[in-house]
Amino acid sequence: MKERVQLGTKCNLSELQIGQRGKVISLENENKELRRRLLDMGITQGVVVEIKKIAPFGDPIDVLVRGYELCIRKAEMKYINVEVTR
Amino acid sequence: MKVALVGNQNSGKTTLFNQLTGLNQKIGNWPGVTIERKTGIIKGTEDELIDLPGIYSLSPYSSEEEISRNFVLNETPDMIVNIIDATSIERSLYLTTQLLELDTKVVIALNMLDILEKKGIFIDVEKLSEKLGVTVISISALKKTGIEDLLTVIKDKNVIQNRHNKIFEPRVEKEIDNISKTISLGHKRFTSVKLLEGDALLVKQTNEQVKSSIIILEDHYNMDLEQVIANQRYNYITDIKSSGTVIMNIDIITDKLDKVFLNKWAALPIFAVIMTLIYMLAVGVIGGATVELVAGLFDSIAGGLSDTLTNAGASQWAVSLLCDGIIGGVGAVLGFVPQLIILFICIVILETTGYMSRIAFMLDMLFRKFGLSGKALIPFIVGSGCSVPGIMTTRTIENQNERKMSIVLTPFIPCSAKLPIIALFAGAFFPNSAGLVSASLYFFAIAVILFSAVLLKKFIFKGKSSTFISELPEYKIPGIKYVLKDVYEKTMEFIKRAGSIILLTSIFIWLLLSFNWRFEYGVDVNESILASIGNAISWIFYPMLGELSWAASVSAIQGLVAKEGVVSSMEVIAGVAEGAGSVLFNSQIFSFFSGTSAYAFMVFNLFSAPCFGAIAAMRRELGSNKKMFKAIGFQTLLALLLSYLVFGIGSLIGVIF
Repeated sequence: MKERVQLGTKCNLSELQIGQRGKVISLENENKELRRRLLDMGITQGVVVEIKKIAPFGDPIDVLVRGYELCIRKAEMKYINVEVTR
Repeated sequence: MKVALVGNQNSGKTTLFNQLTGLNQKIGNWPGVTIERKTGIIKGTEDELIDLPGIYSLSPYSSEEEISRNFVLNETPDMIVNIIDATSIERSLYLTTQLLELDTKVVIALNMLDILEKKGIFIDVEKLSEKLGVTVISISALKKTGIEDLLTVIKDKNVIQNRHNKIFEPRVEKEIDNISKTISLGHKRFTSVKLLEGDALLVKQTNEQVKSSIIILEDHYNMDLEQVIANQRYNYITDIKSSGTVIMNIDIITDKLDKVFLNKWAALPIFAVIMTLIYMLAVGVIGGATVELVAGLFDSIAGGLSDTLTNAGASQWAVSLLCDGIIGGVGAVLGFVPQLIILFICIVILETTGYMSRIAFMLDMLFRKFGLSGKALIPFIVGSGCSVPGIMTTRTIENQNERKMSIVLTPFIPCSAKLPIIALFAGAFFPNSAGLVSASLYFFAIAVILFSAVLLKKFIFKGKSSTFISELPEYKIPGIKYVLKDVYEKTMEFIKRAGSIILLTSIFIWLLLSFNWRFEYGVDVNESILASIGNAISWIFYPMLGELSWAASVSAIQGLVAKEGVVSSMEVIAGVAEGAGSVLFNSQIFSFFSGTSAYAFMVFNLFSAPCFGAIAAMRRELGSNKKMFKAIGFQTLLALLLSYLVFGIGSLIGVIF
């Protein structure tokens, strides 16, 4: 089992454990199309994302954002920088 | 008047469309059910209603989302009905803020209020309407409340005119104003915002003003404007939400169900059990009994009719055409209707409960290892009903390589028309485990799909893999009425095909079977035209049958017209050869079949080129004849190879034990 990321840590979303929450600080710019999709799905600066469910093989991850559940791969979560709030 | 129905994926658009038009279009509980626009006439009016594929924003990613954007922008609907899923109101309003930038009239249909009440969520509809500056009607598409109100609003065209709220920070609004003065296109506000964002499809319209505005704003915000605009849109929505609605949006039931269905250890076994159960139910338990019953019924009808007609003095060929050709061929296929009903019920339940999205979610990792994405699972599940909609569902896959692979691989899934073949052979040669044998073919198909995916990825569809960003819908109890309607329609479709295509091909087969090349009637079937055609190709099938059988060979070719035609063709041949009412595998012509060759023959029919309908769908979605022929060639070669292997290995095992 990986260690739980400490409260207040700045990291990318893929490092969070189930049940943890992160406030989005910024999105990486390398993949514009992916970033556009993330923005449209509501992952914008300041929004809080909670890790809810993990697929049996460990990836993708289901997160709660803006009141609905979104499936997203770990590779894509690496583009989302957060500050751990829970 | 043209009215466009626009909303997020899985927001209940098609359910509302069906209510407003009285039609029965396909619905489901997964993102991306609607892949083409569909048109209907709104009840009690002459207005056209267009159901568009679901979108999250007016920047499209996949081909079916582009349809929606193009329609809204270029075909100038007179009104947009924007359906909003109240349970994910923030994300839904994001699209709304973009629609409200257009010059088109918009009315909001706030959907799923019945679920809200249960969840303790409250939305102040009047306040929402006032804040957004748009007419809002609350409805429940499922429970049919509020539909009349919505109809009245559409009929009277009595909606608040777009007033282009200034939702961004003043700094941004100022530049939007500056840009809109310099452009000549319609939808000035919308276009200006898109130009600021650097929208790829509008890049040609960029002018000096746009360039300087972008520089000014990027300088200030220190990030590119795509992000700035999205952030401010969502900020605006959050403001509205906190002043107008209270959200308590945690669905405990869904979470509890997912603890089981998405459990780390139990998820895959549960999936395997569910799929096995479907085939056990359809082919094993219920299927076996019904098939004997129905086949017996048609045999006795044919037998009885044959005697009656002969006694009444009807000519021999007429009796044979009717009893062996028509009743034999069509009846053979109709005998499988009870099993198909079971299969259709199972599939519609998978689609409407929300479980299908979970299958995609949990198998994504596995499929990714083989070059596909979890999203490919959805065409595969839909394809177990029929390949044609399955192939069309691939449009939800954004990555073009993955999409093409899924198009080529979807026909490998045993569809409902292949079920008769499987049920016939499995029932006859594996009577005690027909259900398991059928399920084994399903999992065999998945294994072949994964194996083929690796091959295709390695040699043809190289390139980067896609992303997987998809909504996970909540579980829902399917509406009984819709389930019944859907199953009824699919079943009728099958029966109609039996009465048209299968009827014609059965007559055709009977003709070729009853005459020789000198057009003499009543020859021995082995001397018939059909036999000589079959003999010319039977060497192809020898390595999977262990026998040079013209009858099995021509029957397999029948599968091109419609897969269930394999069964009807075999029945007609056995009937003409031995007289009506004969039991298929007791007839001399088919008595060579063994368990091994039966399995190999099923494998061939499962993987070879699909029926014409599915081939046409492949042609459409792949975009060229060349690609289509390549795909069919690949499928058929693979089918031959696999069936040879199955027969070879099966025979070897037989020799050893």
